[in-house]
Amino acid sequence: MRRLLATLLGCVVLASCGVRQAPNEIVVQRFFGTCKAEYGNRTDVGNAEGECGIMTTLINEFSAQNPDVKVRVSPVAWPGYNQLAAQLASGDPPDLVTMHLSAISDYQSRKLLEPLGNELRAVGVDPNGFTAASLASVSKQGEIYGLPIDNWAPLWHINMNYFRQAGLVKDGKPILPRSPAELLAHARQFKQATGKPYLVQALANERAAYSRNLYTLLMQQGFDFFADPQRVKLQSPEVKQVLEMFRQIYVEDLTTKNQDYAAATNGFINGAGGVYLVGTWMIGDFDAESRKADRPLSNGYSVMPWPQLYGRDATFIDGHAWVMPAKERTPQQRDAIFRFLKFFADNDFEWSRTGHLPAYQAVIESERFNALPHRSQIAKISSTGAPLPSAVQRQFPVQDIIGEEMAAAITGHKSVDAALADAEHRVNDLLFHLL
Amino acid sequence: MAAQLASGAVGRRLGDRVILAATIALAIVMVLPMLWAVGLSLKSNAELLVDTNSVLKAPWTLRNYYDILIGSGVFRWLLNSIIVSVGMSLGVLALSSLAGYGFARLEFPGRNVIFVLVLFGLAIPEQAVILVRHQLFSDLDLHNTYAGLMLPGMSAPFGVFLMTQYFKAIPTEVDEAAMLDNASRFKIFWRVLLPMTLPAQATLGIFTFLHAWNDYWWPLVSGTNEQMYTLTVGIASTQMNFAESAGLGYLMAQAVFAGLPILIVYMFFQKYIVRAVSGAAT
Amino acid sequence: MSAAAGQLSELGHTRVQSARAGAQQSRWSHMLYVAPFLFLYVTLLVYPLFAGFWLSLHKADFFGGSRFVGLENFVRLSNDKVFIGAVGNTFYFILLTVPALAIIGLGLALALNRTTRTAAFLRGVFFSSSVLSVTIVTLLWKVVFAPDGGFLANLFEAFGKQPVAFLSDADLALPAIAITTIWWCIGLPMMLFLAALQQVPRELYEAAALDNAGRWKTLWNVTLPSIRRTFALVVIIEVVLQFQLFGQAYLMTQGGPNNASRPLVLFIFEVGFTRWDVGYAVAAGQILFGLIAIAAMAQYFVARRKEAF
Repeated sequence: MRRLLATLLGCVVLASCGVRQAPNEIVVQRFFGTCKAEYGNRTDVGNAEGECGIMTTLINEFSAQNPDVKVRVSPVAWPGYNQLAAQLASGDPPDLVTMHLSAISDYQSRKLLEPLGNELRAVGVDPNGFTAASLASVSKQGEIYGLPIDNWAPLWHINMNYFRQAGLVKDGKPILPRSPAELLAHARQFKQATGKPYLVQALANERAAYSRNLYTLLMQQGFDFFADPQRVKLQSPEVKQVLEMFRQIYVEDLTTKNQDYAAATNGFINGAGGVYLVGTWMIGDFDAESRKADRPLSNGYSVMPWPQLYGRDATFIDGHAWVMPAKERTPQQRDAIFRFLKFFADNDFEWSRTGHLPAYQAVIESERFNALPHRSQIAKISSTGAPLPSAVQRQFPVQDIIGEEMAAAITGHKSVDAALADAEHRVNDLLFHLL
Repeated sequence: MAAQLASGAVGRRLGDRVILAATIALAIVMVLPMLWAVGLSLKSNAELLVDTNSVLKAPWTLRNYYDILIGSGVFRWLLNSIIVSVGMSLGVLALSSLAGYGFARLEFPGRNVIFVLVLFGLAIPEQAVILVRHQLFSDLDLHNTYAGLMLPGMSAPFGVFLMTQYFKAIPTEVDEAAMLDNASRFKIFWRVLLPMTLPAQATLGIFTFLHAWNDYWWPLVSGTNEQMYTLTVGIASTQMNFAESAGLGYLMAQAVFAGLPILIVYMFFQKYIVRAVSGAAT
Repeated sequence: MSAAAGQLSELGHTRVQSARAGAQQSRWSHMLYVAPFLFLYVTLLVYPLFAGFWLSLHKADFFGGSRFVGLENFVRLSNDKVFIGAVGNTFYFILLTVPALAIIGLGLALALNRTTRTAAFLRGVFFSSSVLSVTIVTLLWKVVFAPDGGFLANLFEAFGKQPVAFLSDADLALPAIAITTIWWCIGLPMMLFLAALQQVPRELYEAAALDNAGRWKTLWNVTLPSIRRTFALVVIIEVVLQFQLFGQAYLMTQGGPNNASRPLVLFIFEVGFTRWDVGYAVAAGQILFGLIAIAAMAQYFVARRKEAF
């Protein structure tokens, strides 16, 4: 009997213990993957490559410089918003979270984030130093709700070795299409010359990439599909022709098919095709690959913004920021958080080595940024790029819905018209029923 | 007549062989995915990136396992899974035995009605109540605690139902004999009847353990703190990463590493597990 | 893995009779034995169910916002193509998995119902996958199905065939998830059947042998009729389990392509946690409850009618 009671008591004690945060401990929740094996405790930020490597070494370096602060990193599966919603609902969110600029207003409008402006200025981070796009995205109702760390855009990552073979290089630069028709012509020419598909795309189990490309091409047409931020307009010729172009590319086998994100990335590295449609974040990795010998990308990698298929120079952009969910914190924790943010603001150049565009005007203009490979080709995006109107809520779920329906149309599971009707209906239903 | 019998026996033996061969073939199909994963885990990530067929060729490496040993949350996740699964199983056993005994042997007001109401609970799927339960646990500050991960499993009525049936199958003469010795009710329950229900305890314990071990949605939204991840959530957090960082071989090594302990436990206790699961069918 | 509602069929036999009428007084204090469980049962299962009815009449999110909207959520559900598709997918998935699990499980049990070491080993093999967690199972099968460098793709290529992209084909995605699920879950039905086979009285077989009945005849006339109840039990358990498909779809396809593999439970999860439309998600949860309750009841009555014969 006594033994039973002791066991039960033990169970209760064990069960009630969870994780308690030390007064000088901050929990940093981020995506960008885990790479403990490679980067573990390394602090040599300058030698790190890729988002995960640079992020890991940066945080390690911060911890090394601030031994009085305990940083607990919690990597989450991209994009981590389901988990964050659950955490916020349970009143136990992390101290800092990586968030897409496009997602901030969802959380801010429900008063789930703390304003950072005053305390940022106090540690010497001036929000006026952010790029215009970044500043606009983190500013809500006259306050600053995030520390932007980058802007990114969907890009054309190009295998120049294949492009040369296809006769699509002039003066060392890739020849890019200037209209949908020309894009198809190039793609056919490319396929004939190399036997490879022109495009490499992550089409399987992927939703975001479709939407981002669509947004870009609609912006190039000057078509304002979110003229009313509560209602999307997708059933229109502008949208239809974009989908039909992608559909045609798919039908003619001018793109890789059925690859998920990992497979498409590996595929491009292994020479699966000419142009990989993916964002800024891969520049660092692909550039490193192009410096290896005897690989499909050896000495043959270039990267460009989306070509202007409709005359107008525009690209959809988004970005990443650190945000601070609202909860009670010790003064030590607040102090640590702003030291952390200051550290990231100071080291934005290192982060931009991933390929992302810096969130600070001074870094964009700096010599060392412009000396990085390929950056001169894409730097203009920081002025030509535009996010969706910030009044549009639930941009992530919206992106998922549009991507899902686009995928269905492009891979032929339903007609373009049906997909656009469904996408429009689903997005508007979602937005109409917001609380 | 004798010849006929003999030929029947030969045919039977041949049939046995065919069936055995087919079963073995199916067993091979069964283990192939596991072998493929083990193979992948023994290759360098760089090599797999070029061609996964290289699994069949040397060189193999233990590098991925070494990487896990030096830096992966998998140990912590494993520990959490063990704590939660064992805790939930013990909790279910304790609650179900007490309640089963109560329903089967004791009189109290409204007993039959309550028992029927409990049985209705068998038809309530966890997912239908999970959102409200999540809000409830938020209000009670139970998220990111072991209790928060264990308690939902303890509210399911299956165990109570099973134990009630089992207690009822024990002849009441057993209680009466003990009663004559002037034993208290609890003593009868604890000393006399409970030991007789061990087979049912084993069945229930194993079902609950497997349920807890494999649960995904609840730990995903309740144990959201990385230090509270169970194995399912932890492994998922690395496999769905948008970034390509971890590498296929590493992911597979992690899966093998996480799957192996429970497979080993299973092999050790196979005899009992089989017996226990069988108990549920009778 | 809760075999929960499974045993509903036995409900019919369950009438709580007083252990020994008259010998015992009805006392409140006896309730102490059932009180701990009842407390959890009421707070964590019954209360959330009823609170869910109320919440489903609201537009609400996780963060305290809530507004009464009457039956709007249910009207929306009835017009939501994705929701209806998800219900359809769920039933299709049950159709793909449950008969296969029952029949393969039975076949394995028949083949392995012997005392040799080989049989014991093979039983172990077929049950082994059941102890793996869903994340590991899906990870394994993703690298089996992957069209680039997956196990099957390599196999196809070795035979000079074009690899099939199982998970990105609307017609194959759910069947692929079903295969994964059958692989994962086959152990339990096999074990349940094995247990039932061992209960079949030996005399029946001896009588059949005396009649010189062949293998098939014995199976058909002796074995199958004897394990009828277990067959029903296995079907019920598996229907209830597979109704709750979530992890495999979430981790392998996220419900795609073209919503072809989105089950009901994944729909509830996405609407709740991704879109924060909690009232709507809870309303869908109520539908799930209704469907399972109907399924459980239907099977209960079917099982009961069979008993009458």
